[in-house]
Amino acid sequence: MSWVPGVGSRGSGTLDIRHSPFVTRWYLWGPVALVVLGVLVPLGYLVVRAFGAEPGELASLVFRARNLRLLGNTLGLAAAVLGLAAALGFPLAWLVTRTDVRGQRLVTLLGVLPLAVPGYVMAYALLATAGPNGTLAALTGLVVPRPGGFVGAWLALSLYTFPYLFLNLRAALLGLDPALEESARSLGAGRGEVVRRVVLPQLRPAFLAGSLLVLLHVLGDFGVVSLMRFETFSYAVYLQYAASYDRVYAAWLALMLLALTGALLWGEARLLRGRRFHRAGSGAARPRRRAALGAWQGPALGAAGGLGLLSVGLPVVTVLYWLGRGAEHGTWAALGAALWDSASASAAAALLAAALALPVAYLGVRKASRRTRLLERVAYLGYATPPLAFALALVFFSLRTVPWAYQTLGLLVVAYALHFLAEALGPVRSALYQAPPQLEEAARALGRSPLGAFFAATFPLLRRGLVVSVAFVFLSALKELPITFLLSPLGFDSLAMRTWGAASESLFSVAAPYALVLILTSTVLVGLLRHRVV
Amino acid sequence: MLRPLLFALALLLVLPACTTEPQPEDAADTGALVIYTGRKQALVESIVDRFREETGVDVQARYGSDAELIAALEEEGARSEADLFWANTAGALGAARSAGLLRDLPDSLLQKPSAYVPSSGQWVPVTVRFRVLAYNPETVDDADLPASVLDLPERTDLRGRIGWTPTYSSFQDFVTALTLLHGADSTRAWIEGMKALEPKAYGSNTPMLEALAAGEIDAALTNHYYVQRMLHGGDEGEYEEDEDEEEEEEGDLDAPVAIHRFAPGDAGNLALVTGAGVLGAGAHRVGALRFLAYLLSAEAQEYAADAVHEYPVVRGVRLPPYLLPFEEAVRLSPTLDFERLRDLDGTLRLLRDEDLL
Repeated sequence: MSWVPGVGSRGSGTLDIRHSPFVTRWYLWGPVALVVLGVLVPLGYLVVRAFGAEPGELASLVFRARNLRLLGNTLGLAAAVLGLAAALGFPLAWLVTRTDVRGQRLVTLLGVLPLAVPGYVMAYALLATAGPNGTLAALTGLVVPRPGGFVGAWLALSLYTFPYLFLNLRAALLGLDPALEESARSLGAGRGEVVRRVVLPQLRPAFLAGSLLVLLHVLGDFGVVSLMRFETFSYAVYLQYAASYDRVYAAWLALMLLALTGALLWGEARLLRGRRFHRAGSGAARPRRRAALGAWQGPALGAAGGLGLLSVGLPVVTVLYWLGRGAEHGTWAALGAALWDSASASAAAALLAAALALPVAYLGVRKASRRTRLLERVAYLGYATPPLAFALALVFFSLRTVPWAYQTLGLLVVAYALHFLAEALGPVRSALYQAPPQLEEAARALGRSPLGAFFAATFPLLRRGLVVSVAFVFLSALKELPITFLLSPLGFDSLAMRTWGAASESLFSVAAPYALVLILTSTVLVGLLRHRVV
Repeated sequence: MLRPLLFALALLLVLPACTTEPQPEDAADTGALVIYTGRKQALVESIVDRFREETGVDVQARYGSDAELIAALEEEGARSEADLFWANTAGALGAARSAGLLRDLPDSLLQKPSAYVPSSGQWVPVTVRFRVLAYNPETVDDADLPASVLDLPERTDLRGRIGWTPTYSSFQDFVTALTLLHGADSTRAWIEGMKALEPKAYGSNTPMLEALAAGEIDAALTNHYYVQRMLHGGDEGEYEEDEDEEEEEEGDLDAPVAIHRFAPGDAGNLALVTGAGVLGAGAHRVGALRFLAYLLSAEAQEYAADAVHEYPVVRGVRLPPYLLPFEEAVRLSPTLDFERLRDLDGTLRLLRDEDLL
């Protein structure tokens, strides 16, 4: 877009926003530099630290047979979780989009609410429910063996992550044009064949996007695998960090985990390349007719209800049960302190993330180029980096480069913000796409400075998106365990750390109040954000 | 866009050089005594609260495993704000001493404990625990259990039914002692023999004891007080002023858990000394010494005996009736200078070689 310099224009030359020297202004490149450096430099220190060992020792660390076993465990768990999450998420998505199931909104909510139960709370619930001392034995006399190792980690992670698949598949199913399926039917394809050859291929991008989120969670998870004692890369990094001096091996394991994550991202990008899934015909897609469940109404509702009981009811009942069994003296004061620490750090991180997301998203939307796309990739890299590896990198980096920042609240807040930046980016970006650039250009023409024009014309339109960004990051930071673990300052107490710490000692009644506050806060936020995610 | 980025990078590299090093006075100004501790939060908080009440000295604690905290202290170096290291194991204190992290302590303090004072005089023992083999008396007969922990691998009937905690500091101290008493080869052979029994590895002792009581395993290599806690309750609660308040976590005397002691002098009965020392980098030497003196006071020692079932190191402290008399327990433990338990590095290397870490 070219523009004749307006009468009130203070700038010299053209006002064309896309080619102005705007990009070099401090309030744009400052945050951008912080994002790029904040994500990349610490990862560099991870490499520095990893290669800090003597060559002989290095070889023995890298080529340990144990690493292979960790790889096998990690991949096996990831595949199994993905399988179960798909087995839970796909039928549920089908139910709410393709059938006349009753209470459709409620069933949809059941597919979203598990997001409010962090993985380690889910693991805690499973551990505290089973066994002779568990909730189930106390309430019904039924003794089920306690889940542990692979099975325990598999169940807890699947129940916690299946909503990512559900949400993506649901959105995709809603977007499919029924005409395609009808054409296939008219050409003689059976029902099964239509599903296999027409529906499933179209769901592929949604499945891949959901799978990516599930797999990233499995690779990055530390709380569940540590409580269930299943050795994956994350758990091994933690063991090296916490139970032995060996930071070099910890750095290596973190790098291997990082490589695995990189392979995953690369694989996803490849699988999606060069495919088209949108409608090619003219006009709008017709609403589809829903299949009548008939006699299957009851069983379908029963299955959905059972899933809800398991993924949401179980943690809530377990927490309440243990809460009743003995809230100890002094618990409430400690709970208040932990809530305050958690909430204040998460709030600061959420605001910082939104503030960083604004310029990054602005450059990505209004100045789309290879560079700005790269910039967004970096933000997503911070998100995809397993939190334990990211935190470890920041420990090494801060001790070497900015020792005064080590173990401060500031570093913790920055770590949260950089790690969860991608979550803040999405809502801001969609809001920016909807804000007409002409408004800002008009404000410029009327004499506002670039920054003034942005705040006068565009910013008011972004407010809703920003609020959602803040809420997303707040929720994630509140639940975050490994980053808090490694970077929390002296005397810092968080809900996540308290829950995990007590649960890992089997002190279920001690963990209960913290877990409850976590679930409640998350539920409220997920409820508020429901329209955003659903 | 590249130029500003490079500029920022340069700034980032130059900035730390410009900023002045944090002066020790800064730490003194805040006034808080900083404790790095490998001990459990509930225990530390109770004692710290009482200490703060009595002295008005503010205390901040950082929790972690012994090994983690030593690594942190070494990374922080002279910048560390920590004043005191209160460790779970003598091995960690020995390692801290070897790394030059500790200061000499005054004789007045070193004379307080009745036993286990290290020859270096750089840390004091605070409490003593003992290694034991816990077992399920409903499925295992005490008479069938071996007289030496070294013979435990021969109990092939326990395959898959035995628990241990290879990542836990007490277990690592035990392995270090095994190496000192029987040599590296026997220790490695023992670990390999144990591994052939396919033991279940737990991250810490409480969940392992829960598993024992739940019938998931039949025997567990652990410390004495975890068994006492399961049977008699206590620990993890707040420090109660009124003893009759019913806040303490109740024990379960019917839990199918019992203690097996090996023959006198066997490494399986090893005494595990917890202790504390003053850190060289800290700014609050006086406050740290005061805290150490408090840890050795009759009050704190009695609390440890009552609430966490650990043995006091100061004479004249009343023991709960269900604890083995101190002299008896000491007689069962092998004798060795606890200063020599410091080769934590060697133990960790061994455990890594054996794929346990």
